Amino acid sequence: MSYYIGVDIGSSFSKAVVLSGNELVSCHVIPSGGNYRLAADNVINEVLRKAELIPEDIACTVATGYGGSSVSHYDRLATDISCQGRGIFHLFPSARTVIDIGGQFSRVVKLDDKGRNVSFLMGEKCAGGSGRFLQVIAHVLGLDLEEIGPVSLKSKNKVSFNTGCAVFAETEAVSRIAEGAAVEDILAGVHDALAARIQTLVERLGMERDVALTGGGAKDIGLVRSIEQTLDTSTLVPEEPQIVAALGAALIAADISSN
Amino acid sequence: MKKQYFAGVDIGSRMTKVVIMDEAVLTSYVVSTGPEQRKLANKVMEEALAQAKLSFDDLAYVVATGYGRMNVPFADKQVTEITCHARGIGHLMPSVKTVIDIGGQDSKGIKLDSGRVVDFVMNDKCAAGTGRFLELMAEGLGVKLEDIGELSLTAKNKAVISSTCTVFAAQEAVTELSRGVPVEELLAGLHEAIAARIYGMVVRLKVEREIAVTGGGAKNIGLVRALEEKFGCPVLIPPEPLVTGAIGAALLGRDAVQKAADSGTPLVRSERRLEEASFF
Repeated sequence: MSYYIGVDIGSSFSKAVVLSGNELVSCHVIPSGGNYRLAADNVINEVLRKAELIPEDIACTVATGYGGSSVSHYDRLATDISCQGRGIFHLFPSARTVIDIGGQFSRVVKLDDKGRNVSFLMGEKCAGGSGRFLQVIAHVLGLDLEEIGPVSLKSKNKVSFNTGCAVFAETEAVSRIAEGAAVEDILAGVHDALAARIQTLVERLGMERDVALTGGGAKDIGLVRSIEQTLDTSTLVPEEPQIVAALGAALIAADISSN
Repeated sequence: MKKQYFAGVDIGSRMTKVVIMDEAVLTSYVVSTGPEQRKLANKVMEEALAQAKLSFDDLAYVVATGYGRMNVPFADKQVTEITCHARGIGHLMPSVKTVIDIGGQDSKGIKLDSGRVVDFVMNDKCAAGTGRFLELMAEGLGVKLEDIGELSLTAKNKAVISSTCTVFAAQEAVTELSRGVPVEELLAGLHEAIAARIYGMVVRLKVEREIAVTGGGAKNIGLVRALEEKFGCPVLIPPEPLVTGAIGAALLGRDAVQKAADSGTPLVRSERRLEEASFF
């Protein structure tokens, strides 16, 4: 039996996946921190431990992501766009538009019917247009990031934000709380503000159904609903939206070995 | 003719400024803007009047400006801060053709001709390029806001800050600090980053000399030097850069009174008084 590793060192999180053939054996996600080499070593050790494997069992390793070149051993480096496309095509072959909401950037990728990247558009590195917005607001409201999605869905009276800047929105959220606005209404407003930024990106590239969501932002059900409403479409969301590029990297590793 | 007094009240996002003048500035008064702007406007006006040894009835006209200008119930007129800044600088520094105003939550570039606005650009959408950026950097690096300018000038090298976004730049600066980059080099890099951001906006105006810098940002010598480097020329700083807009507001009040007197038309004044207003 052959095993493959895909490892994705992102600006915020490092993810690794072990595959046996095309089957997922184990996956793991840790914060990247300030040392990518260390994060890569740790996430690979952990994903191997979960799979009950040793490094010698691995036939091929593909690294990707912002810090992909910091991985101490890999057989090939691949772009995160190609890995993400490969991963999404495996999970959702019908997806033609992929919206990736990461910790620093949002990105929209269009795929053809073979999962190949046709075109893409990257948002600027702006907290207001990325998952970082959610972190900033969760922090000021004293909530964990995992809590904000379900809380926001309870909103009956959305707060409309005057700004798309995370710094100004933080101040605005504080004044709205002081005025008596409910936490769920503020969160729903933040989700709408971020969805509006993502909509601008999607419209510039042109949306084609089906639409899939990936990245940490896709774990926030409040944001997912807000994006669906803004874009007027349903979306496909993987069970583990953060590991799609790592999964794609492992699939590419399997492709390399079988050729 | 009886001596006439005019007041300008500028309620900014972070600071509230009041100026009382006759021919020259008699009193200028600056306090932090709190959440209750209406009560605050009354209080600062009372204190400014006490300093000038005047009563509210001595004021011939009151003009309010700034982002909170609608929360000055005793003002006779509200005027945008762009117009007030232009009028203020036109009076203080007649040779100035371009004003760069760096406020707490916005920044603007104003082209002017004899104190009148010809064109302007403004950023209030993104914290990068505003005083808020500097505030957060000072906080993140553990340096007092009023010290960052001088401290940045002691840097031998400038750190390169790759992020424009305030949130990411702050994170980058703190990470670099923990890696041993001296704080003054980080501050020099951050001043350069904000200067580049402001330059990128203001340059759309076809900048002409002289250039003046106003607002809280003008009190930061590190930022002023970084702007001079970007624009390739020295810039002028008014003696009290925070109150330029308030001076302009007071002068626009004097203009209104003068115009009414010249044309013989009655002066339109607010009926509200300071005492009544304090019930808000």
